[in-house]
Amino acid sequence: MDTILQVENLTKQYPGFQLDHVSFSIPKGAIMGLIGENGAGKSTTIHAILDLIKKDEGTVSFWGKNLSSDPCLKEDIGVVFDDINFYETLDPQKVGAISKTAYKKWDNHLYQYYLDRFSLPVNKEIKTFSKGMKTKLCIAVALSHKPKLLILDEATNGLDPVMRDDILDVFLEFVQEEDHSILISSHITTDLEKIADYITFIHKGNVIFCKPKDELRYSYGILRCKTEEYQKLDPADIIACRKEDYQWSVLVADKELARKKYKNAVIDNATIDDILLLYVKGELKNEKLNPKRFI
Amino acid sequence: MKSLIQKDLFNISHNAKPMVFMLIIFAFIIIPSTDSNGYIVMSTLLCGMMVITSFSFDEHSNWNQYALIMPVSKKDLVAGKYVILFIATMVGSISGFLLASIGGIIFGKINLQANTLLELLFVTLAAAMISIISGSTTIALVFQFGAEKGRLLLLLSYLLPATICLAIYKGLLKLGIHITDTFIFSLVCCLPIIALIWSYCMYKISCFIFLRKEV
Repeated sequence: MDTILQVENLTKQYPGFQLDHVSFSIPKGAIMGLIGENGAGKSTTIHAILDLIKKDEGTVSFWGKNLSSDPCLKEDIGVVFDDINFYETLDPQKVGAISKTAYKKWDNHLYQYYLDRFSLPVNKEIKTFSKGMKTKLCIAVALSHKPKLLILDEATNGLDPVMRDDILDVFLEFVQEEDHSILISSHITTDLEKIADYITFIHKGNVIFCKPKDELRYSYGILRCKTEEYQKLDPADIIACRKEDYQWSVLVADKELARKKYKNAVIDNATIDDILLLYVKGELKNEKLNPKRFI
Repeated sequence: MKSLIQKDLFNISHNAKPMVFMLIIFAFIIIPSTDSNGYIVMSTLLCGMMVITSFSFDEHSNWNQYALIMPVSKKDLVAGKYVILFIATMVGSISGFLLASIGGIIFGKINLQANTLLELLFVTLAAAMISIISGSTTIALVFQFGAEKGRLLLLLSYLLPATICLAIYKGLLKLGIHITDTFIFSLVCCLPIIALIWSYCMYKISCFIFLRKEV
């Protein structure tokens, strides 16, 4: 399995926050979703990966090479941040002209194709664009220099479901090429459930897990039970739990095993949102099933 | 780096119309009340200051973060600003010279003799070099303190060289050395070299500041 992006022990210290030895990798042709609550460290991770901030520790390699020692790698990386970085008086035509000068592999026809596909007016100033149009313009720019890796930092936030769906389709088309990959950070976990192959969950600067999405979907479960039943649960089966108004919600790693073991309990499929909520707001119970073990 | 310069030119050109309007209005105010020389200096310095406006645009759109994911380095980003300063100064000095010449003739402040035009060219050269020296200092200050604080310090970068010159002038007077036309001529002839050395030093300082900064 060829790796496009390898992040190892990425550490960055800020007053009151530490990105703590973050490690994960993205194989070719895969979409990696980076999830976590606001302030968990998703953007810091992406900024450190892109060399926009100095790393205290750790290494990041793209196709086995270091970005700082080989800046030409930037030709193969398309990045979309949560807001547009072109000044609002520019229009898509000027943005295209600037990008054409910047990137050797810039494809004007492809850029025009995306502008048409996203129904973006060529000569209208960016300041007249909606949030969705700005995001689409950023994506058009990022894709038109033919990158092999797309890095999206909260790019779909603030978009309506229809627009998000359009954009997710574009991402899925992008990874049809077997040497293309995407790293997408978002707290809209439903988007990641649709498109991601792997999920890396960051909480308070730590990687809680990095797992194939299907494993999370098909193995993890939420066991719901009363306090009396909860007290009878084997602590070894509990990853995290949370007391709600009338019941306990318990995150289990193997829902089929839990169904066999606790026949009276209700066990639902766990969405990424459920898992995230239980990790962040619940009580972590079993260290063996917890952080670092899944990395 | 070409893309960075292109981006700044696109951004600045958005302010071109109000700037041209302002330069014409100033021509009507300054040339009749003072002379053409003052107008040339004003036009050159005003256009040179457009580089600060480009920093404000960048800050507003968080451009540096984006620029550094493009195939450009931090050094390119710094160098681009110095190129913009040079271009803006050239535009300001050439337009200043042309408007000052036309305005001077219209308002009867100058005549069409070769000596007069040569004097205007001389003032234009001096103004352009002062703009580059002061603008270079401003760029370094903006890299250190950001565009908003940099605007406040703008005065410093224009007043500092003026104060140094005044101090040197007074020092020379105390030493009994009088400033002659020949001395001024020699000084203006040296200005391009002084400007080149000064901007190179400021470029190095700006690189040092920006390389240590996180965007």
